[in-house]
Amino acid sequence: MPPSSPNFSSSVKLKYVKLGYQYLVNHILTLTLIPIMAGVLIEVLRMGPEEILNLWKSLNFDLVQILCCSFLIVFVTTVYFMSKPRTIFLVDYACFKPPMTCRVPFATFMEHSRLILKDKPKSVEFQMRILERSGLGEETCLPPAIHYIPPTPTMEAARGEAELVIFSAMNSLFEKTGLKPKDIDILIVNCSLFSPTPSLSAMVINKYKLRSNIKSFNLSGMGCSAGLISVDLARDLLQVHPNSNAVIVSTEIITPNYYQGNERAMLLPNCLFRMGGAAILLSNRTSERRRAKYRLVHVVRTHKGADDKAYRCVFEEEDKEGNVGISLQKDLMAIAGEALKSNITTIGPLVLPASEQLLFLLTLIGRKIFNPKWKPYIPDFKQAFEHFCIHAGGRAVIDELQKNLQLSAEHVEASRMTLHRFGNTSSSSLWYEMSYIESKGRMRRGDRVWQIAFGSGFKCNSAVWKCNRTIKTPSDGPWADCIDRYPVYIPEVVKL
Amino acid sequence: MELLVLLYALSTLYFLLMVWKWVGAKRDQECYILDYECYKPTDDRMLGTKFCGEIITRTKNLGLLECRFLLRAIVSAGLGEQTYAPRIMFSGREDNPTLLDGISEMEEFFEDCIANLLSRSGISPSEIDVLVVNVAMLSSVPSLSARIINQYKMRDDIKVFNLTAMGCSASLISVDIVKNLFKSYKNLFALVVTSESLSPNWYSGNDRSMILTNCLFRSGGSAILLTNKRAMSNRAMFRLKCLVRTHHGARDESYGCCMQKEDEQGRVGINLGKTLPKAATRALADNLRQISPKILPMRELVRFMVVNLARKMNGSSSEKTTGAPKTKVNFKTGVDHFCVHTGGKAVIDGIGTSLNLSEYDVEPARMTLHRFGNTSASSIWYVLGYMEAKKRLKKGDKVFMVSFGAGFKCNSSLWEVMRDMGDGNVWKDCIDRYPVKTSDNPFMEKYGWINQEMDLDPSTFKLVPDYI
Repeated sequence: MPPSSPNFSSSVKLKYVKLGYQYLVNHILTLTLIPIMAGVLIEVLRMGPEEILNLWKSLNFDLVQILCCSFLIVFVTTVYFMSKPRTIFLVDYACFKPPMTCRVPFATFMEHSRLILKDKPKSVEFQMRILERSGLGEETCLPPAIHYIPPTPTMEAARGEAELVIFSAMNSLFEKTGLKPKDIDILIVNCSLFSPTPSLSAMVINKYKLRSNIKSFNLSGMGCSAGLISVDLARDLLQVHPNSNAVIVSTEIITPNYYQGNERAMLLPNCLFRMGGAAILLSNRTSERRRAKYRLVHVVRTHKGADDKAYRCVFEEEDKEGNVGISLQKDLMAIAGEALKSNITTIGPLVLPASEQLLFLLTLIGRKIFNPKWKPYIPDFKQAFEHFCIHAGGRAVIDELQKNLQLSAEHVEASRMTLHRFGNTSSSSLWYEMSYIESKGRMRRGDRVWQIAFGSGFKCNSAVWKCNRTIKTPSDGPWADCIDRYPVYIPEVVKL
Repeated sequence: MELLVLLYALSTLYFLLMVWKWVGAKRDQECYILDYECYKPTDDRMLGTKFCGEIITRTKNLGLLECRFLLRAIVSAGLGEQTYAPRIMFSGREDNPTLLDGISEMEEFFEDCIANLLSRSGISPSEIDVLVVNVAMLSSVPSLSARIINQYKMRDDIKVFNLTAMGCSASLISVDIVKNLFKSYKNLFALVVTSESLSPNWYSGNDRSMILTNCLFRSGGSAILLTNKRAMSNRAMFRLKCLVRTHHGARDESYGCCMQKEDEQGRVGINLGKTLPKAATRALADNLRQISPKILPMRELVRFMVVNLARKMNGSSSEKTTGAPKTKVNFKTGVDHFCVHTGGKAVIDGIGTSLNLSEYDVEPARMTLHRFGNTSASSIWYVLGYMEAKKRLKKGDKVFMVSFGAGFKCNSSLWEVMRDMGDGNVWKDCIDRYPVKTSDNPFMEKYGWINQEMDLDPSTFKLVPDYI
């Protein structure tokens, strides 16, 4: 006898039970307040207006007392509001749209690979297999210097790429927000693998003639999660400096880091990393409250560097021939999962609704006291967030996170499509994903977005944003000309 | 009525509580230096006159003129015989540095300096809440800050920042980050690690504006432990009073005066342009203009304003504008000690004239340049160590730190000394020999003749071979 029907009805019943439980626990305050208010109202109505007036007269207030009391109330309320932390607004952001001339379709990539690695057919084979399963599309871009055969990674070319990416993104940001260069108070630039002297932040200050008392910082080496580290730093600085604007530039300069050897673990980044960048404007000015797109709610950083395995899993080193490249270990996914778990344990209590936290607590108590064999309860993060931006590190990362957090295909669509259209653009990929969600018209006022990024070291950083106003589908931006083609179906293996 | 009194009492108590919390919060936002440690590399890395000569002769790309230029630079640099070089110089591989050379140079520094600092101050690595690392010329994956976290097994919720490419003024930028974090969070320990990576950055070409950096920079580094815990204030050494950063990147000559680029043969080096001194003076003037109102006492500011006004009125009333010296602010009224970045003899002289400093004031900087060379961002901490070792620092004294960086930046800060200090620290075994006269230095003795050599005949020009 097929057991499907009873199971189906019981699962439906379970769903309603769960919904009812969530509603009960999340709104418990309202639910207890209503009977009390009702009781007070009935009592008042019963007493009648005469008795109420008598009660009021018996309190015997005089003018001085009333003034003192009201003054105290006003003062206490003001002090309370002043001691709250400042709200950080994300006014707007701009992503770099690479020119079509820098496009690297699979055919180009494989042809270059065969020409450069002509003595090592096994490595060419390896790169082809990676590309087939990578989840990248045919429109990802590499900087001009890498299109040469062999690539010409000079410092001149690297600076050229930096100028192209950063200045385009900044120009776009200035246009979108109407920001004047002289109004920038804080500038943070993060680029992991290219740090010329003077720094990229000095390059931005020079190009746009920013003020001489600007607070500038140049972070590097912090991997694909550096964008969120910059947001964390900007938030801490904006708490201390009132009425300020902070501009964050997140990018990764590919030119000097193209691996020219043939060690397999190091060829992997060549296949995945692509050109990209983003410029973000954060502010704590109350005048921005109306037009800001998002409000920053939380930033949580987790660093697993103390564990040796985590520390070694993304490592820059030289191969036997002296070529410098980044080697990715095989246990990367497991370590990412561990780091994510640590991050979730910190962020969970901050964002999950009371119902999920209670369930988690009960299961925890149950496991400790009653039976250790109970399965650990994985909180349902879909209750806490409407949108998820998972760093497009690679197909495996997105699959792993989708499994761990029990997300549906629609939740990870932004990440998968960004990986397909732009490749792994390192720290700026989160902003391409946000732009995707906006371009699809899915961002409504009050929606909560969770950005998660991993980085070398091993770090897992996450940021929570709340949408401030319903965002109209933007007419410009990196997705403007192709959003109608998305989402595309990405097969497991693209035969090359 | 009793109810009303109770209500009033509660409100007043709440109000007093909020005021007390606010005052307490302000006191918790102070930035104290608990301890600091400067790095002393092992003695086998000392660079004497003999070895400098060897390096110059073995550098294949140097022609005659470049040799002369280098020797002149070394002779007048003001460095002594005990400065330290990276290990790669001693194995002769400076033309082909590997990534590992750069990293192992840094790891040697981390293992020594940070361990000493933490054990001496009794703080365990897992108590560190903030870590800021600034090493300008090396950026690796994972970052150097991740290496420190791995080596010392620090906590996973640590706030870590890795700054690069911010030049010789980067340690004050790191302190700026820490100062801002201390205002938002309570009870933190912060560790600032500053150094410079020399191994991968030896310039192996022969462009004259780029080989200068080879002569000046030496190995060094320092680690500083900061806190904003009120309970630690009696153990603290210094308290930060103010910090001002000036960035002149908007001017093209300032931005382009110190730039890392490739020469005609494609070799990477740092080009020091001719506009460097002017950019430095301008940045310094701007910075001083911003920080003087914050550090000088009121009477000095008033005196300066009055004198300037009088001079202007005199100057406008009389027709001729004589070359009268401009009125200078007397920084000694607000500052007792000056930590000047040891960028080179010219830099120290320049700052000395700008601030009207005596020989006694710039002595720590000159002696640091002599003993340790230009250790880039960590140099001001060595200068501070000299003052401490010479027992110049007494409670209540004010110490002014100023440093420059590529871009062009000038950062300065004022620290208040919290207690009398006299620890020998990194100067322990040589402080008794100082001060020395830098005009008679061993390089001058050995190679001073180069200054007299006007025309160089390749056939007769030989470096005196007595060092073989």
